[in-house]
Amino acid sequence: MKTLLASLAALFSAVTFADPPATGERVSFVSCPIVRDTSTVPCWLSEYEGVTYFLTLQTDVSAPVNPPWLGHRVLVEGVVSGEAAICGGRVLKPVALSVMQELDGSCNTMLPAEERYNLTFEPPRPPGPSRGRLAFGDPAPKGDATSAGSAPRDFTLQYEFDGLVVFRHAQTLQKILEAARATHAAEIRITGFRSASKLSNGRVMREREPIARERAEQIRTLLQGAGLDGVRYTIEVKDLSKRPNGADDAGRRRAEVSLVMPN
Amino acid sequence: MSVSVEMIRRRWEETQGKDPLFASVDGMDCPHLPPADPKSHSLLLDRGLFRIFLPWPPKAVDGSNLDPEFTLEVVRDPTGCNLHPQFGLHSANPMVSVYRRPRPVANLKYVTHQGFGVFAFIGKNGLPASRDPETGLPSGMNLLSDARQPTLKTQAIEAAVTHLQFDGKLDDERLQRIVDFERQIHVAQIRHAAGDLMETGGPPGLGVRNVAGGREGLLGNNITNYVIPLGGPWKGNAMRESITRGHDVYMFRTFWIRDAMHLNTVGLGNPTKRTCATCHGMHMMGMDVANGWMDIGTTNLPWAREEPLNPWNSNKTRLPLFKITCKPKVPPHPFLGRVIYTQDPGRALISGKCNDVGTIVMQQLRGLSARAPYFSNGSAGTLRELVDFYDRRFNIGYTDQEREDLINFLSAL
Repeated sequence: MKTLLASLAALFSAVTFADPPATGERVSFVSCPIVRDTSTVPCWLSEYEGVTYFLTLQTDVSAPVNPPWLGHRVLVEGVVSGEAAICGGRVLKPVALSVMQELDGSCNTMLPAEERYNLTFEPPRPPGPSRGRLAFGDPAPKGDATSAGSAPRDFTLQYEFDGLVVFRHAQTLQKILEAARATHAAEIRITGFRSASKLSNGRVMREREPIARERAEQIRTLLQGAGLDGVRYTIEVKDLSKRPNGADDAGRRRAEVSLVMPN
Repeated sequence: MSVSVEMIRRRWEETQGKDPLFASVDGMDCPHLPPADPKSHSLLLDRGLFRIFLPWPPKAVDGSNLDPEFTLEVVRDPTGCNLHPQFGLHSANPMVSVYRRPRPVANLKYVTHQGFGVFAFIGKNGLPASRDPETGLPSGMNLLSDARQPTLKTQAIEAAVTHLQFDGKLDDERLQRIVDFERQIHVAQIRHAAGDLMETGGPPGLGVRNVAGGREGLLGNNITNYVIPLGGPWKGNAMRESITRGHDVYMFRTFWIRDAMHLNTVGLGNPTKRTCATCHGMHMMGMDVANGWMDIGTTNLPWAREEPLNPWNSNKTRLPLFKITCKPKVPPHPFLGRVIYTQDPGRALISGKCNDVGTIVMQQLRGLSARAPYFSNGSAGTLRELVDFYDRRFNIGYTDQEREDLINFLSAL
């Protein structure tokens, strides 16, 4: 009996009270997002293996990390930071968030504001009107016309898991368009990547098989749709889904665009 | 310049229904109905709705058929038009008929601005913006409720063919005269219980002179420009004080905005704790400063106005209802899933995109008092009903005072 109890205790301990991840450790999991209100802007949290993680704050469209959506699970890929907890959650920084496309009505937790979870700093943007600027600058500033000499030639678009172009890519696409016009690019080489994500529990999530081609072809279609004709488009695809490492999986979900100048 | 139901009815009485406003092509519930019978024009006479007929499947700019991401079925066809053998979905020239309020032809320097938020790629989905065929410049796509025309000229060309049934082609000179005429019209409330809105020294955001002289293309969801600047508390009588409070409700009263396509999906999260001015953010206009179609539920179920049927109710549902099924090859609609019921698919009838179903371009808030009913399908008969829709939809919980103040503010625009 003692042996049985000891075994059960050990099992219970291993499953329920696994050591929380140390600072610097990577965590990857799929879970429901949670909204916690505060006296200013809401926090976005998620729980995994008994630990509450802080994902991000509500800010505005210019934010480098955008909050997920209730009604959907979210793929969280981040590094545990040593920063003080925010809204009761251990901070992940950097963190990549991918909203899972299928609906999940069980992801519906909104927590009320509590004094103990209020922010100890002023958020980049209040919940109402701004003070005259976006929290992280204009996502697509006008007036800085690209010149041929200064125009970048290489661009990267990062995607959510299984994702294609969304609102945040408008800025990069605009830059590609302006640079291609300024430099009179002869060719645009587009490489679409497919990736996979290795979760902390060992499971591997692979993106849809055709996603690499879809990403590359969509960029071509969008640039053509914006009027970028008279240039040769070259499409390549690369499948990186075989060897996810749980380290830079999010960064592999991308497309690369290179402008090739005329001879 | 717009048209209210009251004006439409008066014109019917004055002309016995012979005014071109009541043309069979778009002023009737469907062209096959008996002419000169008010029942044939019921949606126009009762709700100010014109018939908009659009090809199905949608057409690309070059005239080719798009492959829509969804199938479309007619669930309810109270006007008989969507299943009609000559005018309907299964006719030789398949058309979808939806019923919409006209947009105000006024303050167009704002509506067609080239300022903040207008780029070659749409800031809400990354897709290419439609372009002016003459200049190649991107359009803000805020002219029509489905954003199907990029410029005043292309809109005039389409309107001549569809609404006017013009048999020829508008030449460049006529087109330019139409556009020039439209661009000189400015509209705002000028008389109000608060007093004369044109008086010198009044709030800088009110009155038509201020609208005509205002700066276009500015984001007003901030405390530097403001959407409708009042220049501080407006004093002098109780109504002015109420309008000032209503302004603050509009700008600063937060609530949870949830499941609104092209709002919660553009980086703010779902839900987002924001205010009216988040979406209605264009300085002086209160429309979207960027490409402005989104779905707040005015036409999509479960939020669209649909009175549950019962044996004791003689009211008949007046608008068509469509069943949209997103195809397996595309992700489901982020908030409504794969099957959506809608009175008007909105932008999706142009783009063919599942996540555009029921999205409607928001419009300016100027001259609201004179042009009821509201929303693209006329589902709010008064400003009170309009505010109540938002209150229900987003569980805002306005107090009576907040509601009254907000309505007074809106009525002064």
